[in-house]
Amino acid sequence: MHEMAKELLDAGERDFIDQVIASKNERPGALLGILEAVQEHHPHKYLPMETLEYIALKTRTPLSRVYSVATFYALFNLQPQGDNTICICRGTACHTRGSRNLLESLRLELGLALEDESDGGGADKILQTTPDQKFTVRTVACFGQCALAPVVEVNHHICGHANERTLQREIQTIERGSE
Amino acid sequence: MPQKKLSVRIDGELISALEGQTILQAARANGKRIPTLCDLEGLTPVGACRLCIVEISGTDRLFPACTTPVQDGMSVTTVSPKLTQYRRVSLELLFVERNHTCSVCVSNGHCELQAMATEMGVSTVRFAYNYPKLDVDLSHPRYVLDQNRCILCTRCVRVCAELEGAHVWEVTSRGIHSRIVGDLNQKWGDAKGCTSCGKCVQACPTGALAEKGWAVEEMVKKNDNISSLVRRRGVQA
Repeated sequence: MHEMAKELLDAGERDFIDQVIASKNERPGALLGILEAVQEHHPHKYLPMETLEYIALKTRTPLSRVYSVATFYALFNLQPQGDNTICICRGTACHTRGSRNLLESLRLELGLALEDESDGGGADKILQTTPDQKFTVRTVACFGQCALAPVVEVNHHICGHANERTLQREIQTIERGSE
Repeated sequence: MPQKKLSVRIDGELISALEGQTILQAARANGKRIPTLCDLEGLTPVGACRLCIVEISGTDRLFPACTTPVQDGMSVTTVSPKLTQYRRVSLELLFVERNHTCSVCVSNGHCELQAMATEMGVSTVRFAYNYPKLDVDLSHPRYVLDQNRCILCTRCVRVCAELEGAHVWEVTSRGIHSRIVGDLNQKWGDAKGCTSCGKCVQACPTGALAEKGWAVEEMVKKNDNISSLVRRRGVQA
């Protein structure tokens, strides 16, 4: 295990993880903070399996415990995230103001697969990334901004009273900016 | 330091318990039985199955007997129509959550879930079944993990971490998506930490963890071996 985790991670990544772990000083419950810092450091904002393995090794935590924590919290991603994140609120207020249609049209716009009704009728959280790694679409239960329903968060910036046109404009702005 | 003696009433009977004991331990020490599924003597109680719920006079809430410590003067009711109703619902929800098909299960006839359902008189389930699509992991040379039969009691997790010290098992994800996983979601056969000791298999109350080579109704679990091992080693639960 030791050799494998070392082989698969480059030296810079390893140094960063070592520093984060050292800064947490073996406090109980440090794992959460370590995972958060390491994910934030990754260019694609996610935790690859090799990273989890290395963290487990260095913090002397069982592999299964690290995996369990990383999958319990929606905050942690085990898949690479797109460069831009669009987060649609699926809370009650936003739902009544048409967030389902907003989500569907956004997925059509970005060419993502539509909801599969067999997996629980769409009650689950959604997390999809476009093949070109440009956009990630995810849903959230509530932003606490119900007065602005329907709420969409584009790259951690809140857009209230969103509609299909404002979403299209946001996407265009991002695409123009990246060219 | 001698432990303080407390007097507690369980189902109207006055019994003495030691400070720090849970209601379940005190009841058992006095020959009273409270139904349980996730509890296994010697392992840390977690309160996962909610079958050991009891009524405590003075409060409307129900408490799990396995994790609630006894207090002096406490009056506990372990059998009542309300408790039976709640226990039945808990069992029904366990059945709904996975694909428990007793007739083709290795543990048929030796299953704690099945025995508990019989005891509680749960012959039908009032809710719609979930029918989740779940894996059967056959990668280990000696054992099988069938997620369809798992009730997430976490006995395997605890026995592996506390008694074997390998900590191969853990619960991943949350809510309805919770599952038992080994290491980093690896196949059991590839789990590097696994010592193939089989304690998880013996601790499992259902047919979720079983030995290979047994047909329907043939897998008899040896729970007592786990508990006696704990007693011999003097591991503190």
